[in-house]
Amino acid sequence: MKLRRRSTLDEEDESINVSPLIDVVFILLIFFIVSATFVTLPGVDVTRPRVEKSTSLQKNSVLFALSEKNEIFHAGKSVQLNEVAPLITHAIKEKEKPVVIQVDQWADATLLAKIVSAAKKVAPSVSLATLKDR
Amino acid sequence: MKRKPTIFQKEETEINVSPLIDMVFILLIFFIVATSFVNEVGITSTYKDSNSQTDSKRKPLSFNLPGSGQVLLDGNQIGLEGVAPKVRNSSIYEAPSVIIRVSGGAKAGLATQVMDQALLAGAKAVKLTAVSK
Repeated sequence: MKLRRRSTLDEEDESINVSPLIDVVFILLIFFIVSATFVTLPGVDVTRPRVEKSTSLQKNSVLFALSEKNEIFHAGKSVQLNEVAPLITHAIKEKEKPVVIQVDQWADATLLAKIVSAAKKVAPSVSLATLKDR
Repeated sequence: MKRKPTIFQKEETEINVSPLIDMVFILLIFFIVATSFVNEVGITSTYKDSNSQTDSKRKPLSFNLPGSGQVLLDGNQIGLEGVAPKVRNSSIYEAPSVIIRVSGGAKAGLATQVMDQALLAGAKAVKLTAVSK
């Protein structure tokens, strides 16, 4: 009884100081604004090939995926080979972006070669995503 | 003399920050949801257009990848381990260009690994081409 009465009295007396909370939230907000890149993921999981010499690729890029079943994915949808070049042209109309192809280890290499050559014609650079070294 | 009441007023009123906090929270949640951390590593195939290929006097090294999963250079089976030494051997005077010809049935993983080996050995440019049977 005694305790509860005192605590209610305390609450009424002083309000919670929210300024540290706002500080933290602002810092988080600025962090997320800065790190936001708005990349549309292909939306399919692939087994990347393991290689020895891999470099970090540019974060803001046009992503394609070539799945194990030889399907091409872009922005969560399955696309045909002849749609690849128009999609890239549309994506880099405003700003030049490199193309990154997430290729499955067991996909058909001839299809990969065709995608790469189609992308090369319109994109400034074409890269193949590989496994990260641990 | 007249200022006094305003000072008095200022001390009394506080800015209400709750709408600001609401807004900031909404923005924060939007950016958290919209951010996708894509951090890809990979290899970049550098190759100019086919018409500039004639600049180099030397013929590019041409690896064949048939559907059987072998790696062939001039018809000889060399295997994935043999790619880097071959590229290195021919790069004494000038870094060679590499063409990887893939046939139907060849796996993309192997093609990527051959590209990687060639780039690792110092190839100037690597190109993937598909050959129809």
